[in-house]
Amino acid sequence: MGRYLKLWGEFFALSRRRRPLLTAATVAVIVCNVVLVAVSALALRAAVDAMVRGEVRGAVFASVAAGVAYAVNLVLQDVSGLLRNTTVDRIGRLELHPEVHRDIAGIEGIEHLERSDFLDRVTLVRASSGQLVQSMWNAITAVSNVAKLGVTMLLLGTVSPWLLLLLVFAVAPVWCDHRGQSVVRRVELETAEDVRLEQHLADLAVGAASGKEIRVAGAGPELVRRQAQAWERAMVPRVRARALAAAWKLAGWLVFVTGFIGGLALVAYRTAQGSGTVGDLVLAVTVAATLRQTVQNTVTSTTSTAGAGRLIEPFLWLRDYVAAQRARAEGATAPPRTLRTGIALESVSYSYPGTGRPALDDVSATLPAGAVVAIVGEYGSGKTTLVKLLAKLYRQDSGRILVDGLDLDAISTTGWRARISAAFQDFGRFHTTFARTVGLGDLAHLTDRGRIQRAVREADAQDIAAALPDGLDTQLGTELGGVELSEGQWQRTALARASMREDPLLFVLDEPTASLDAPSEQAIFERHMARARVLGRRTGAVTVIVSHRFSTVTGADLILVLHRGRLVESGTHAELMALDGRYADLYGIQATAYAEESAS
Amino acid sequence: MHVIAGRMRLVRILAAARPLLLVSLAVALLIESVIPAATAAALAFLVGELDQASGVGTADLFAVALVPLGAFAGVLVLGHLAEAVVAPLEQLAAARIDGRHRTEVTRLAATSDTIAALEDPEVQVLVRQALADRSHGYDCTPSDGALGQLRWAAGLVGAVAACAVVASFSWWLVPLILLPAAANRVIRTRDNLRLVGFWREATAGELHADVWRQAAVSPAEGKDVRVFGFVGWMVDRMQEHVRAANGGLWRYIDRMLSMSWRQALFVAVGLVPAYVVVAMSAAEGRTTPAVATAVLTAGWSLFLVLGPSSDMYEIVSAVRVLEATDELRAALAAPPATPRGLRAPPESGPAPLVRFEQVGFGYPATGRAVLRGLDLDIRPGELLAIVGLNGAGKSTLIKLLAGLYRPVSGRITVDGVDLALVDPVLWRTKISIVFQDFVRYQLTARDNVALGQAGLPAEQSLIDEAATSAGLGEVLERLPDGWDTPLSRSRSGGVDLSGGQWQQVVLARALYAVRRGARLLVLDEPTAHLDVRTEFEVFDRLGANRGETSVVLISHRLSTVRQADRIVLLDGGRITESGTHDRLMALGGAYAEMFAIQAERFRRGYDDRMEEGTSQWDAI
Repeated sequence: MGRYLKLWGEFFALSRRRRPLLTAATVAVIVCNVVLVAVSALALRAAVDAMVRGEVRGAVFASVAAGVAYAVNLVLQDVSGLLRNTTVDRIGRLELHPEVHRDIAGIEGIEHLERSDFLDRVTLVRASSGQLVQSMWNAITAVSNVAKLGVTMLLLGTVSPWLLLLLVFAVAPVWCDHRGQSVVRRVELETAEDVRLEQHLADLAVGAASGKEIRVAGAGPELVRRQAQAWERAMVPRVRARALAAAWKLAGWLVFVTGFIGGLALVAYRTAQGSGTVGDLVLAVTVAATLRQTVQNTVTSTTSTAGAGRLIEPFLWLRDYVAAQRARAEGATAPPRTLRTGIALESVSYSYPGTGRPALDDVSATLPAGAVVAIVGEYGSGKTTLVKLLAKLYRQDSGRILVDGLDLDAISTTGWRARISAAFQDFGRFHTTFARTVGLGDLAHLTDRGRIQRAVREADAQDIAAALPDGLDTQLGTELGGVELSEGQWQRTALARASMREDPLLFVLDEPTASLDAPSEQAIFERHMARARVLGRRTGAVTVIVSHRFSTVTGADLILVLHRGRLVESGTHAELMALDGRYADLYGIQATAYAEESAS
Repeated sequence: MHVIAGRMRLVRILAAARPLLLVSLAVALLIESVIPAATAAALAFLVGELDQASGVGTADLFAVALVPLGAFAGVLVLGHLAEAVVAPLEQLAAARIDGRHRTEVTRLAATSDTIAALEDPEVQVLVRQALADRSHGYDCTPSDGALGQLRWAAGLVGAVAACAVVASFSWWLVPLILLPAAANRVIRTRDNLRLVGFWREATAGELHADVWRQAAVSPAEGKDVRVFGFVGWMVDRMQEHVRAANGGLWRYIDRMLSMSWRQALFVAVGLVPAYVVVAMSAAEGRTTPAVATAVLTAGWSLFLVLGPSSDMYEIVSAVRVLEATDELRAALAAPPATPRGLRAPPESGPAPLVRFEQVGFGYPATGRAVLRGLDLDIRPGELLAIVGLNGAGKSTLIKLLAGLYRPVSGRITVDGVDLALVDPVLWRTKISIVFQDFVRYQLTARDNVALGQAGLPAEQSLIDEAATSAGLGEVLERLPDGWDTPLSRSRSGGVDLSGGQWQQVVLARALYAVRRGARLLVLDEPTAHLDVRTEFEVFDRLGANRGETSVVLISHRLSTVRQADRIVLLDGGRITESGTHDRLMALGGAYAEMFAIQAERFRRGYDDRMEEGTSQWDAI
């Protein structure tokens, strides 16, 4: 609880600092809401009493006060939601939102995006910066609602101290309503899976891409049937829960009404005896009329405050995680200007957290400066893991990676990354302009058209750009009114992006041509090999090509063959063929398919 | 008229909630809405009785108060009862109305003959509107509108009741309070509708920010973000979009907030004079305190009944949802190109002879011709490979074959019958296609295979056979509940599969359809996510298992393609080369060139290394 209070305090301070006017207004409205309950009820009593006593001046004065109090109350009720939501929205979107995204995207590694349990939390926090701020206001509102309940009871106490006993009766509706609402919440959680399934099936049914297969398989009616079933499965328990909650609520109120009518009878008795006024009666009744809403608001706001942990826990986790990641020495050494010897792996091992099996197991190798190094192996052999270690996207569990003898861990991550470039197998598809999606490969030259055009040519993508309606400035992504690229075209944007930097020390091509046709593959491949040589001469850069297509790697200076995380063979193509091991075996399968005589 | 038609539609969709429920709900809502007026009346009754009896002795007095007290208690209990009952009734009605609406929309979208309309971005917008997806900035479902309208109607009854109480003092107080209250409501409704307009704009504008938001949490984009170091730039862009998108909305809200004093004035203008008049007349003894009390409470309740309300917004939004549904229905019911006799596809032979005759086609959006006078036969039982550069139209050809689009010119025949005359549903039972962007159902492994042919009940023995042929055995063994494991982590007990594993599931799905009677199997890049060895095994098995089924294979890997009975090259919208691998190689055309490029690498790999010395790449 202490941590929550501290966080809410922090949010409130943030809100007050960045939006002082809105924050003050929101607080004022909340306070006024409590005060006005008392003012309007007291004014009404005064008006009625004055009428009964025949005091014209008093009656006019009190009735004006009551009318104004009601008018203000009505407006405040109306405005408070809008005011609070917009305050939350602005703080959430403008302050917390960028902070959270900067944290998530700024962590050195990407484990938190790849581990599903971490990603669940990250995704939740990312989408709920507004709700986090809202939870702070929920807590304030919960307090104010309790205060309102207290004021209401005190007002009844002014009529007769006996009416304070109603507080005991008021516990019944609060308790019962709370029970009912928790049933509703529980059932909503339980049926959330079916709601998601219903949404998923509906999305498939109406999707253009999925529509093709659904029609061919004749799956449309079946999907709609299952969608209806999922809906039914989710809704039947929800309605039942609401019915149960309604029963609870009614039971609670019956208890209160019993007590309240008793209290009213007491007031009526006193009035008849002359020790009370008709105004007291009116006050008791009007106050009681607002009580239902007050109780309900109290329950709702306290329940949602109590449920804020669902968001706050992941948020605090993310903060701790970010802090822990930052605390890990980033490295301060600048990377060498050029590579002289190369990159050396010394007994490098890495296991994905939560898995027992090492993805890389005691791998030692030297990637000589200026060389083209191919990493081959089957799926799951650790190829991509190795290049991710080189890009510092992971840190090895044991062993060292040395860049010209400098420990990579000691080299500044930012500095190192500024000197590498990569096209990954699962590359990013940035729905922005074509020029920008390429230019992002070198932020300093984001608007350098010449540089971008050169990179586009390197990736054999000039024909894509030429065919686009607005050329390089074409917006990508149909949801933004832009153009959708095919898989192969996207891949070429990734390659172009990777070609933006002109002086990298490490250049990674991870399955660079998986979606391309033969001539494109050939063109790109030759250009990148040529580029590798140029870079090699210029900065001693190491080019790493990851592939399971063996035809693409035969020309490499060094081929590393990985199998289940271990380096099983290494050498040139000729050496490995002569070895007649794993590489020769896999190569054979593919080469036979291309052999002069028909394979079949 | 238009407005009335929309309101009537909302009334009509209430039918989905069924009569008994509707009547109960209407009664409960009516009771709920007259409660404030009834409270005022009961209170006045109580005050009146006490006032009259003030001279009488104490014991009698209490007896006098018992009846009005009882009445008051009755009103109170009734109010709580109505309020308690309304919530579940509304939920049930909403579930029925929205459930029917959603399945109507999905049925429309999932069962139209062709895919042409669905691929139109404007139709996709209609789909989103019709489904009223909250995630897309639409927040009112048809039931919100229909029930909102019901509540609104009940509220009017409540207002009339409150007016009646006020009129018991003086009729002219009614317009004095009612007019400002009504005006207040009209203004608030207008403001709120405008607010929603701004909010929609903001949601649309934030789509640009979504690009970078997604990038922050996606492992794919995340790697690029880190390697190229543009976190800061990306967040700045995102915030620029957020500010630009919300600017209008926030300015409007600021204006609304700063104008809210006007609203207070409106309410006060109605209430204060009325209160003063009543208070004075009671103080001067012209009216009884009972009547005055009734007017004071009823006047206030009139504002509550007519006060701020989201009903109008819900009504307007829901009418739009229903309109979008109508537009969607019209868009999807494209008239058939030719009058259709809807014939069953011919049953003759093991597999059909499909013939493309001078087929021309271009997508309506771009207008660019993709196919130009294409002639192609798919002969019964053959393994036909289609090759071509990226964007040559291979996938388009497949869509035409499946009847998902109709040719703009020329025709496609199946055993001599024009495909346009064949019932598409029956034709599609004869074919099975593995698309590049296949569907990943978040359903069990069994369903994921059985949905290859959804028209027939699932047959476990055939599912098993298909799985074996597709090499799915190893994947299945690792699934915690075998066939019953949902293939998505978002389902309880579910697991996520890798791209390669999914490809094997989808292959099993297609092979299941073949076992269920499909006679033409189309594979569009079916092994892009598989590694060498698996790909090799898959094709080995496919060759052994296809029986008399025709197979059309699209692939960039020419080593796979060469095993086909016949290879055709698609270039410039027509078939430019056709024949066996050996014939096409002998022909020395574009295919031979493409093959040479891929094969060359293998050969050159040996040669260059034999020579030692300079690498081949230095020569380029």
